[in-house]
Formats: sequence, structure tokens, C-alpha cells
Amino acid sequence: MRPILAVALALALTALLIVAAGKNPLLAYAALGRGALGSWDRIGVALNKATPYVLTGVGVTLCFRARVINIGGEGQIALGGLAATWIALTFPQAPPIVLPLLALAAGALTGAAWAALAAAIRLHRGVHEVLVTLLLNFVGVLIVSEALQGTLGEPGAGFPQSPLLPRASWLPRVLPGSDLHGGILIAVVAVVLAHVLLWRMPFGFRLRVLGASAPAAVYAGISPSRTFFGVMSLAGALAGLAGAVEVLGVHYRLIDGFSHGFGFNAVAIALLGALNPITVLPAGLFFGFLETGALAMQRAVGVPSPLVAVIQGLTMIFILSAMGLSARRSRV
Amino acid sequence: MLRMQQISKSFGSVHANRSIDLDVVSGRIVGLLGENGSGKTTLMNILFGIVTPDAGVIAFKGRLLAGHAPREAIAAGIGMIHQHFMLVPAMTVTENVMLGWGSTGRWLRTSAVAQQIRTASATYGLGLDPSARVELLPLGAQQRVEIVKAVLRGAELLVLDEPTSSLSPPEVAGLLDILRRFRQEGRSVIFISHKLGEVLEICDEVVVLRDGQVMGRVETSSVDRHQLARLMVGRDVSTPIDRSPRSAGSERLVVANLTARDAIGVERLPGLSFSVRAGEVLALVGVEGNGQAELARVIVGIERPTSGAVFVDGTDITAGGVAARRAAGLAHVPADRATTGLVADMTIAENLALRAFDEPPVRRGPWLDADAMAELARERIADFEIRAPEPATIVRTLSGGNQQKIVLARELGRRPSVLVAEQPTRGLDPGATRFVIDQVIALRAAGGAVLYITTELEEALLVADRVGVMYRGRLVGLMRREHVDLGRLGQMMAGALAEASDAAASYGVPTS
Repeated sequence: MRPILAVALALALTALLIVAAGKNPLLAYAALGRGALGSWDRIGVALNKATPYVLTGVGVTLCFRARVINIGGEGQIALGGLAATWIALTFPQAPPIVLPLLALAAGALTGAAWAALAAAIRLHRGVHEVLVTLLLNFVGVLIVSEALQGTLGEPGAGFPQSPLLPRASWLPRVLPGSDLHGGILIAVVAVVLAHVLLWRMPFGFRLRVLGASAPAAVYAGISPSRTFFGVMSLAGALAGLAGAVEVLGVHYRLIDGFSHGFGFNAVAIALLGALNPITVLPAGLFFGFLETGALAMQRAVGVPSPLVAVIQGLTMIFILSAMGLSARRSRV
Repeated sequence: MLRMQQISKSFGSVHANRSIDLDVVSGRIVGLLGENGSGKTTLMNILFGIVTPDAGVIAFKGRLLAGHAPREAIAAGIGMIHQHFMLVPAMTVTENVMLGWGSTGRWLRTSAVAQQIRTASATYGLGLDPSARVELLPLGAQQRVEIVKAVLRGAELLVLDEPTSSLSPPEVAGLLDILRRFRQEGRSVIFISHKLGEVLEICDEVVVLRDGQVMGRVETSSVDRHQLARLMVGRDVSTPIDRSPRSAGSERLVVANLTARDAIGVERLPGLSFSVRAGEVLALVGVEGNGQAELARVIVGIERPTSGAVFVDGTDITAGGVAARRAAGLAHVPADRATTGLVADMTIAENLALRAFDEPPVRRGPWLDADAMAELARERIADFEIRAPEPATIVRTLSGGNQQKIVLARELGRRPSVLVAEQPTRGLDPGATRFVIDQVIALRAAGGAVLYITTELEEALLVADRVGVMYRGRLVGLMRREHVDLGRLGQMMAGALAEASDAAASYGVPTS
């Protein structure tokens, strides 16, 4: 209920901005909606956009449940994409079903390893995970750039990107007449699995106890460090998977900066999804549809497309204010 | 002097205060009695302007106080001493007194304030050195710093929230003397407590709160313990404890030469050895912070000892973690119910499974069996008379007594061989206290060994077969209950009989 209210308020406030710019907000939003949902093709694009958000957002959600603040999605996505690219370019002869699976697995493993590195630094050196994951983002993104300048780059492309990946590694299209690829199915499965893990399995119980009270977790015989390491690795795997999906399903090549902003949007989506894996799905779709409709809105009405970032930002501010407010009310 | 009328306050669906009336006359000490969560603290926070009431009127010395801030309450002459002191540990007594005090003026006149502190200290017998650093003072002296702060700010009404909970018996006696001197001067005191004995000793009248309502208002001269207890709980709780004498059996818990350091490497336990036998309750009394918490944590496996060993039924369990020790038959009721013993925002069923979620029947293969969890919860709710609507109820919404019943149900429900209970009755009303003690005695009768850590002498004597005194990490006295001399125990708790010099040296604090 609360997220819907936040979205409504954000749309209303942005409408005022559009009015202030001398445009008609109803027309703008109509164009936005058409751009995002107007045809199967547009819906496919929007779902593709939402896929990495949902995957990464689910991981962040699990982390937040354990009170682990993982903002390292971007670096984990970047390296996941890099690993998938390397596999696809190195084993082009592999059978068409095996190759994408192998590349996805490599992406997930690399993302997990990158997050595990952050977790290890936190556990053994005591540097807070916010700092470590944030800084490792820069390192991860720069490693991708470095690889594209060197062995993985496309000679003569003039832009840091890899050669086109072999067709066998591409994710299959799942909706005729659109670019929608199989990644969205992976995201839905991840959402369901995360829900089951959180509410029906011992590891999820550990996460929830640790997040609710660290002393109680220790008292219950739960190892905070092992749980921390586990959930970070899991979130890293999901983010790495998102990176691989983006490369194998959308670009068919590794492009410098392809992960830009994904990690932070995932944090916003986790919050918008009220830290529940299931509701991360609509939250991620909302972001995906907004961004897909943005350009259509700009073309049709002349409202600049970055305005959707304003909607996203305002939504987050309203959500966080509501959370702060209810925390104050429930304090006895 | 003070008149609070029809004060109401709710937090969400919880009614913390329901039209409470409270009158305080000059020169009287009024006790505010009730278990944790009965609304005492909320009422006082409303008086002091920390919380705004939903309804009601407050008049102090004939002037209305409404929507006031703590600063205005202080200016009007209300002094509040919180359970957790509001002092800056690294500053001196004088600096703490000057902190936030408008009348110190534009310039810091340290020596003038120090002189005022010395005068007040002499008048009330506070024994404070203005230049002492607060962090080096014992808790009793820190409390007197709070008192001098309130006195110098002109407090005519002093509110003390659970003032004796961290004091040794001699310190408590000293505090009560100070309050009596206050009364002689015509000032008033509101004394918040859940301890019947103290309330009867110091207060002129008592207001009893339960569930946010005033249950009764009595002159202490015309009431006895049992009547007060009945007011607090709503039923009779004074039947004697059925505590049959029994010969102790074999040693079930053995602690051998245990040493431990805290997070910053200070030695907290300089080598403790004792044992508890089957069918025996060993109570460890002592002022908080004398190593009891460290001892319990090392025994149950939350922290590792630097050396020494712990045995349960003859098995060395020192190498195992919390889960392994639990499997060996060790149960633990932690001191901090709200954040350690329970996860307040989770359900009763989840809390009852908190330490058993990783074993059958709650864990079935890779899954958590929600039905088994609910089934276990229903069983325990019935067995331990937990008053709660259903297993899915969130623990935070329950009373302190019912919360503690959940902890006990979880720990005792599986018939442990050894129980380590840390302050299991803290903050509970007499009825819930009685329930806890009965459960401990039942475990004793079933042949369990109980290590009962408490700050309350009376309670120790109620449950224990033997009583030991902890002072600065050492066991400075250990005697059978028949041989206990209350005065001597009190002195031991205050450290008078300990080899103070070397114990103090290991803490790195000056002996004084």
C-alpha cells in the first residue's frame, strides 16, 4: 500500500514540474505509458530493462533483511558481464544450449566472488561493508574497461567494447515480435527461490534473526560472520547473473559502462519492494517501464527524459520518509 | 506541588497510559510501582516533556505545563534521573554539572561551580569530588552526580527511574538517606520501582500501575507487601514456595579455572572455579558489572575463555559453540530479554524455535516446517501458560512476564541438565517473578543444576541452595543458604571484604 502511495505522490509532484515547464502532464504521462506498454515490442524492451534490476534487487533485499548494506551491485554486475563475455568468446564452438548456461554460471560465480571479497575485507579487516562494496564498484568497472582496452576489446571499434558474441551464446527470445529474452524468466525464478529461501529455509531464518537482532542471533547459535558471508555471496551471484543476462540477452557484447547505475537502482528497487522478494518484481518492472517510456515521452511532448529519474528519486524519498515516520510511531 | 490529571498516551495500538491521575504533595516521597511496560516510564517522560500526551493536564506549583520541553521542565523545578545516566564519561563532575546549564553564564566559572558542588555534596552527604572524572566513579557515585545536577538546577521535585537497579545494598541505603534529607527540606520525590521492599521502606504513599492504569493509591503505613503485590498483579501471589530439601547429586556443571578478557583485552574473570550439582541451585549475587555477564557468556559459549574449561555432566564442552553446548544439555536465560533472549519483531512460534530451528522437528530436510513450528508453539503456550492469542503473535506486543515465559518455555521445555539464568526476573511483576522462580525450583526438583545470577539478595535466598558473591570477576564468598548472613553478603557485594587492591589493579582503575 505504502509503495503505491509513494509512487502516486511522486507522479503528482512530477506533474507539477511538467506544468511548470509549460507542458501538459496528462499528455506526457500518456506518452510515457504508450512508450512503455504501447506494443509487444515496447513491453519486451521494458521487461528486458527490468530484468537486471529485479535480479540485483532480490539480492540486495536478502542482504537488507540481514541488515547487511550491500551497495556493490554495480561492480558485481560489471564483472559478471565480463566473465560471461570471456566464456562466450573463448568457447564459441560449445553447443548452443551449453554455452549460454556456462556463461551465465560464470557470471554468477564471478559476481559471488567479487561480493565475497568485499565480505572477507569486512570480516577480517573490519572495514564497513558500505565502504568496501562502494569502492569495489569502481575497481570492478575499471577492470571491465581495462579488459576492453586490451585482449577483450574489438580491434578498430573506436569504442571500448568487445566483438559481437557468437550467436550460440545469445539468450533465446521468448516473445515473438519483440526483443524480450529469457532473462525475465530467470528473474522470476530468482524471485520465487528467494522468497522460499527467506521464509521456508533455515538460511532465511538465520538472515531474519540476524537482521532483527545480532545479539539474539549469537545467542541462537547463528554465526553472524558466516551468515554475512553467505548472503553477500548470494547477492553477488544474483548481480553477476544480471550482468551476464544483460550481455547475453540485450547487447550481445560487452560494452564499457553497461552496468552504469544498475547497482544503485537495485538498492532503490529493494526498498520500493519493501524488502520482500516477491514485491521486488513489481518494483523492478515499475523502474523498467518508466525508463522505457521516458524517451517516448520526450519525443511526443518535449518533456526531457531525465524527468523519470526525478520520479524515481521522489518515489524513494516518499518511501524512506514513510519508513522513518512509522519507525518513530512504533517506538514505545 | 504536582498534579497530573487524566493523562493518556497510546503508541499505535498500545495504550501506555489510560487517564492516569497523579498528585504529589510537598515534602513527600511517592512511589510509582509497576512491572516493566506498565506505563511508569511513559508517564514520567510525559511529565518531563520528552513525550507529548494525547490528553490530560499537568500542573506544577500551580502553573500549567503543556507541550513543554525538558528544558522548561528543569527550569520549572523538576529534576529527572534516568535509569541510564545522562553523563559524559570523559568529563569531570564539575563539567558534567555545567553541561547545558544556562546559569553558568557566558564564561565557564569552573571553580565557582565546583564550590557549589562541594557545598551541596556536604549538605546531602553525597561525597563527591568535583574534579573527579565521571567514568572512573562507581555507578552509585555517578548517580549522585545526577542528583547534584538536579539539586543545583533548583529541582523541587526529583524523579528517579529505577534508581537502585545497579547499586549494591550499602549504596542503596545511602541513596535512601539522601532522599530522606530531601524530604526534610520540603522537596518531593517520585520514586519509580518494581521492588516492593524499597518502596515500602522509603515512600510515604504508593501509586500502583498496571497496563497503563492506576490500580490503587495507598499510604505505605497502612499496607504490607502482600497487599501491594496483589495490587500490582491483580491476584494473590504470596503462597509459600514449595522447596523441599534434597540432597545434592553428582556435579552437573563444573567450571574450572576460567579466565576471560573483554573486547578491549581487559581481564574480566581472573580465574573462577566452582561446580553445581544435580538438584542444586547456586545463586551468584553481586552488583551488575562484576563479571557475571562475562561468566555467563563464557559458560554458554557466546564468548571464548582465555583459559580454563567448562564441563557439563562430565563432558568437556569448552571447544564447542553455542549450539554444541545446547546439545550437551545447557540452557540459557539471558539477562537482556528484549534483544538477546527474544527477537521482539518475530512471532511467538519463531521465538520458541529460535535455538532449535536447525534440528528436527522444526527442520525437515532443507526446509523449515511451519506446521511443526506452530505445533511446538501451541504445546509450549499451553504448558507454560503464555497468555497470547496465537503462535503467530508478534512477541513485542506481549507483556514482560509473558515474554519471559516464552524464553523459559524454550529453554526449560526440553528438560536441560544445566540452566544458566541471568537476572531472569528483572523488570517482572511479583506474579511473573513467582512463575520464574517456580519453574527454576521445578527444574531443581527434576534433578537439574541451576546457576542463578541475580542482583537481588532476597531473591537469591528464595531460590538458592548455595549463594556466592561476585566482586570484580572473583567469587569472594560462597556459602550454604543456612549460613548466610545478610549484612556480610551486602558488604561483600560492595567489595568491603575483597582483596580490593589486586582486583582493582587488574581493572586499571584507582582504588578509593
